[in-house]
Amino acid sequence: MMIFGELCLLAALATSGYAAFACIVGWRSGHDAIRRSGLWAGAVGVLALSATSLVLLWALLTKDFRFDYVVQYCDNLLPWQYALSAFWVGQAGSLLLWAWFVAVLAAVYRFRPTGDCPNSRGHRAQHGHENGTVPLSRDDLRDPAFGLLMAFLCFLVAVMVFAADPMQPSLVAKSGAGLAPSLQHPAMLWHPPIVFLGYAAWAVPCALALAALCCPRVVGQVANLPEQRQVGNLPHDDGAQRAPATTAWAREARSWALFAWIVLGAGILLGAEWAYQELGWGGYWAWDPVENGSLIPWLTGTALVHCLMTVRYLGILKKSAMFLAAATFALCNFATFLTRSGIFSSLHEFSRSPLAWMFLAATLVPIAAGGGLLFRRRSALRADRPITSLWSREAWTLLSCAAILLLTLATLLGTLAAPLSGLLPGPKIAVGVEFYNNALIPCGLFLLAAIATVPLLRWGQPPTAEQKKTLLAAAGTGAIAVALAFVCGIRHPVALGVAALAAASVAAPVAALVLDARRSSGKPLLRRVLGVLAVHRRQYAGFLIHAGIGCFAIGVTGSLGTQREDFVLRKGESVAWAGYDVRYADLIQRDLPDKVVVETQLEVSRDGGAPFTMLPAQHLHRLQNQWAGKVAIRASWTEDFYVILHGSEGPDGIRLTCVENPAMRWLWLSGWIAAAGALVGLWPTRRAARSVGTAVVLPSRSTVHRGGSATATPTESLRAAS
Amino acid sequence: MTMRRKLIVAGVVVAGAMGYMAYLGAASSWQYYLTADECLADSGRFAGQRIRVSGKIAADTLRISDDRRQASFSLEGSNGQLPVVYAGPLPDKLANSIDVVVEGRLDDSGAIRAEKLLTRCASKYRSQMPSGPPPHDLPAEAEDRP
Repeated sequence: MMIFGELCLLAALATSGYAAFACIVGWRSGHDAIRRSGLWAGAVGVLALSATSLVLLWALLTKDFRFDYVVQYCDNLLPWQYALSAFWVGQAGSLLLWAWFVAVLAAVYRFRPTGDCPNSRGHRAQHGHENGTVPLSRDDLRDPAFGLLMAFLCFLVAVMVFAADPMQPSLVAKSGAGLAPSLQHPAMLWHPPIVFLGYAAWAVPCALALAALCCPRVVGQVANLPEQRQVGNLPHDDGAQRAPATTAWAREARSWALFAWIVLGAGILLGAEWAYQELGWGGYWAWDPVENGSLIPWLTGTALVHCLMTVRYLGILKKSAMFLAAATFALCNFATFLTRSGIFSSLHEFSRSPLAWMFLAATLVPIAAGGGLLFRRRSALRADRPITSLWSREAWTLLSCAAILLLTLATLLGTLAAPLSGLLPGPKIAVGVEFYNNALIPCGLFLLAAIATVPLLRWGQPPTAEQKKTLLAAAGTGAIAVALAFVCGIRHPVALGVAALAAASVAAPVAALVLDARRSSGKPLLRRVLGVLAVHRRQYAGFLIHAGIGCFAIGVTGSLGTQREDFVLRKGESVAWAGYDVRYADLIQRDLPDKVVVETQLEVSRDGGAPFTMLPAQHLHRLQNQWAGKVAIRASWTEDFYVILHGSEGPDGIRLTCVENPAMRWLWLSGWIAAAGALVGLWPTRRAARSVGTAVVLPSRSTVHRGGSATATPTESLRAAS
Repeated sequence: MTMRRKLIVAGVVVAGAMGYMAYLGAASSWQYYLTADECLADSGRFAGQRIRVSGKIAADTLRISDDRRQASFSLEGSNGQLPVVYAGPLPDKLANSIDVVVEGRLDDSGAIRAEKLLTRCASKYRSQMPSGPPPHDLPAEAEDRP
């Protein structure tokens, strides 16, 4: 079994390496046989890596201690679900999972049927092109992008083969060391694989951008760019009719980037939830290098998702989008470098490993390649049109991306403060959480303001008089929210600002929807609203994600009101704190096969209401002989009451910490809202619907210069659609 | 004003606000990031400053008060020892000869008055690391358990 797994790993190394070579060389030279052999090799590589993954999974589930990896992370008493999670706890297993995700996503990208979509090669062959030019299609990018994905897969497999082999045999094959107690938590079943799936998915937009940059036809295409481009005024992806060469990759990358964004975001949020429930310090985010490592690519990815929109709708920010695609992928590798390099001497003992430097190389190569190719192709990637109004969607998107990138830079500098200051003479310095929190406040408020404004702006031109009035109404909603928050006792200026902007960010898309629906006539209002939502599904899905971000901001701002207090209680004693009455009723001890559970039974009531029981505990894990705390949380929409049991005090006393965390539920809810928005946005478009809206003509560059009066309004767009 | 200039001004306003706030945050929270040897070599310079020192507890120097609310120990350096006095909840893994990180200020006598004491996490790779103090001593009923 182990030998089979090792052979499959070696086969994956060879075939992915060959696939990368053959796909790129075959595509460049036009040798179809070589290209096809590369595709076959890639498919075999994906299957071989799947087989290796299955071998490791089987070994973990059956506790096969002949595998060194199983010995390190499993023991005989470990429940099966945590044996499964041990797959991604160790270095070799997490690399295997990451590589397998890259392999599967590469296969899905290359081998999924595209049908006769408007931008496919078949469609163009059948229908020709009005200008006599042959635009770059999605098909043109598929083979080189697949080749680049295979090259990255080959890198990951090579790291495993040479530095972290999951199939390594064990010398002592009796029992294992077991899984660290803090990792035996349901969130660990989901958080690491979801983060790795996010990392793997960011490889696809990067491969697409680099493939598009490598494509010689990118240059020739822009010279033949039609003067009169057809663009829907309201954004919905309408296929090839408006496809210049440099946006083909962006249309293909859009769904992958959104998928990667939501997956990595969900992974990060699940990690925060795990930290909150399992680590028992009362918080969920500590700006730790490990946390920052995954946040940084998510931030650049957020900017990328928005830049891709401006590329697709207006043909601007092309270079930024391509560079962000390469940088986001590179920063995923950088996160791995951060956690393995040992450049931090902190409480977090990262496993130092030589493979860290391989990941530093994997960080620098895409950035250097992307930067170099962008410099070479810079003239072909000029913007198709200028930004003509500060009160347009593209201007706000550009400024928001700048704010997100500034936040990324601050996070990166804060994370690297100690190693960077080591390069200067004098002692090293580090910054605290205040640095990050302070940087977040102005950026976060600006981004919330953008979220609240953008639904009532238009692409390519200033807002209509009606939209301006509605913007004022949305601002009025914000003012009402501030008054309500003030009445509820909120006094912190940042919290009041967030309340105003979060309310406006919900009001603005609703108002935009009503405006759009009012313009179409003849049907009952509800049907018109549904019609608008159906036609502009992706746009409103984006606004739903924005609502999730508003919700997230409420949750984060709630942390400003966190309060905590330490108590010593004797049995039967009670204490009143922050509106809660806490009574220490009993201490219960339970002996389980793998651990001893010591629970304190607390009877708690809020403002004299009905009492409820909370059971904060300490678990003694027998195998590791290690105590681990289990906090008790009582959640509501206003706040979480969070109790940490520290230990005994005197003969019958206990030491507790009570924490009141306001608005935590809003934080977790934000993830669900954003996920729902992403699902709606990613839902495949029916071909019939895809052709809708292409009849709307946006003015050419010269028309926009004159003020854009010829541009179709949303009403016209809707009429065209109906 | 041209559109380009307007966008640049807007960007500079956002960047300026963020830079200023981040500067305030850094100014109030930065600390020296030292090893025990670096701290011993230049203790005059760091007196009264916020420091974060990583090192190993010297053998047989750990003293824990009866109520487990205070600990004193020395961090091992190659040319001497750096005394540390800490008051607060103790990590349960605290023992002689382990690696720790302390945060606090260096007093005039050359001892660290620590406000935070952190033992290092497990050596295994973890995707997320604990960011607060781990649990402390055992509940009374379980103290005689393995």
